[in-house]
Amino acid sequence: MNSHVIEAHALTKSFGPTRALAGVDLAIARGESVAIMGASGSGKTTLLHVLAGITTPDTGSVVFHPAQGSPIEVTALAEAGRSRLRRERFGFVFQQGLLIPELTAVENVALASMINGVRRKDAVQHAASWLAALGLAGMEDRRIGELSGGQAQRVAIARAQATGAELVFADEPTGALDSQTSAEVMDALLWSTTGQGRTLIVVTHDADVAARCSRTIAVRDGRIVSSAVAA
Amino acid sequence: MNRHVLALLLRPGSGERSLIALPLIAFGVVTTLVLTVIGGAQSFWTWTDEMAPIYQALAAIALVLLVVPLLSLGGAAARLSARRRDERLSTLRLLGVSPAGVTAATVIESVLLAGVGAAAGVLTYLAASPLIALIPFRGEALGLAGVLLPPVQVSMVVLGVLLLAALSAVIGLRRVVISPLGVRMRSTVTTVHWIRAVIAVGVLAIAYALISVFPSVAGFVTTIVVLAGLFAAAIAVLNLLGPWILRVTATAQLRRAERPDRLLAARTVLNSPKAAWRQIGGIAMASFIAVFAGTGVSLMNVMGAAEAEAQLAADMRTGLIITLIGSFLMVAASVGVNQASDVLDQRELHRSLHHLGMPLDMVVRARRRAIMSPLLITAIGSAVCAGVLVFPLMGLALITAPESLLTIVAVVTAGIGIVWLTTRATRPLLARSFASV
Repeated sequence: MNSHVIEAHALTKSFGPTRALAGVDLAIARGESVAIMGASGSGKTTLLHVLAGITTPDTGSVVFHPAQGSPIEVTALAEAGRSRLRRERFGFVFQQGLLIPELTAVENVALASMINGVRRKDAVQHAASWLAALGLAGMEDRRIGELSGGQAQRVAIARAQATGAELVFADEPTGALDSQTSAEVMDALLWSTTGQGRTLIVVTHDADVAARCSRTIAVRDGRIVSSAVAA
Repeated sequence: MNRHVLALLLRPGSGERSLIALPLIAFGVVTTLVLTVIGGAQSFWTWTDEMAPIYQALAAIALVLLVVPLLSLGGAAARLSARRRDERLSTLRLLGVSPAGVTAATVIESVLLAGVGAAAGVLTYLAASPLIALIPFRGEALGLAGVLLPPVQVSMVVLGVLLLAALSAVIGLRRVVISPLGVRMRSTVTTVHWIRAVIAVGVLAIAYALISVFPSVAGFVTTIVVLAGLFAAAIAVLNLLGPWILRVTATAQLRRAERPDRLLAARTVLNSPKAAWRQIGGIAMASFIAVFAGTGVSLMNVMGAAEAEAQLAADMRTGLIITLIGSFLMVAASVGVNQASDVLDQRELHRSLHHLGMPLDMVVRARRRAIMSPLLITAIGSAVCAGVLVFPLMGLALITAPESLLTIVAVVTAGIGIVWLTTRATRPLLARSFASV
């Protein structure tokens, strides 16, 4: 088993005249929590999207090494293959949760497994256990609008874990929260990922969030300018 | 709220062009259809012979049947224009802008949009009039002079559309003013009480009794006038009963849902059965009309031996077809506008679903199912309702003139087909929203 869960080589990406990535090389070890920091427009979100297979780079490659099975060259996959990879192997947490408002908390979490063919009853049971583990027992049947920002974000974390994702990408997961709730959400995110032997990649502006991760990468003008391992 | 804040609220945000265009188109369609229907019907009132009252009564029925759902579509357009501002207004309300300020901004915007849409609708009506003038009644075309409305009546229709927009905006905004956080977080679930079912069954029973009695005690014209009132009552009953039935059936579908698209579709309907009904209620009307009028025309064809009666039967068939086309246009407009507006409203969510790897087809299936399932239920349900009202006559028509049944099947099939096509038409918009990074 490769010690790295994901590797990127010589990534470049431009949007019109704007160069978002200008030759990025990156390797992330299994079980790491990596914070990607940088000013707005530095290319950090583009880097996350390219690593996750949401966007394809202009040049360069991304290789995902699953715990079991052969390495997968993400950048060589067609859109359908990348979508499948995202729903089966990766988890995502967005800034505003972006949960489906019509569904209840437990249905939002279970839906991720149901898309992968898990029976509804099993998916709901598994989802409820994740919600309980994240301190949301008794809130399974609440609609998203009936939850606080922190609670909704924990539902999103449970959704990212329900499929057993080896690698979780989080884009400003605490961006819309106060500092105390933000700390609680980071506790939940780290416990559910690195705490279970999984890997977490977080894009953040928040130095407190980055300080909780095992490594911080700084991005400027589409390049990685520093990579610091936490003491 | 001062005029600077008002101007800020009314200024369209970036990327809102489509959101402005949708209610504008809907108001335009409403204005065109109302003017066309009234314009076409007015020529009947210029006739003075002994058959004229029959035509006038039938035109009154068609007007009742078309104007009520048209008002409903107008309301949908107004709500759409108000909803565009829902979230921003909720935020402003949370920030302390007064309820009066929020209401004023939205009403002014809705009326402005309705005004532009209505003006476009008047122009479309004028452009379509030469074609409407070619429709034959009593053996000759209606003629352009017969279908063009005087400026005063056109102005009244436009004024009506503006009033409808203002009223619907005020009603639609009540929940923003009362519960801004509820709208911001989309936590408001509309509930539909079972009492609707009891009221609806009661009204249906009274309507059935009246129809059974009237043919024997009143003259033909009186009967038709009474029937027009009963039609309107029946439509009101359908509107009362529809959301409740949708809630009950969606709850059952939710329990059985094993696939993600079925779960999503059932929850979408349950989130607002009234909204689901508003989208497809027009087909319920069309289905209702098809059974009711289809039965009548079939029986007249069989019984009408005299030339005048044969002409009347032919004209009734023409009127029925026009009414049905109008109904389909309303439904197509309603579904198209609502679907497109939902896609635009939920851009962020769709983008996140794409990031999660959810297949586009799964979302498309869920959205289509959330429309088509209530549609099938209401189309069949309203046909049964109308069948109950004209039960003895329909039985007779089925034996003597089976084309009545064919009309019903054709109408329901065409209605379902047109709505299905409309849901297909919004797929590219959803795909664009889905794929945007």
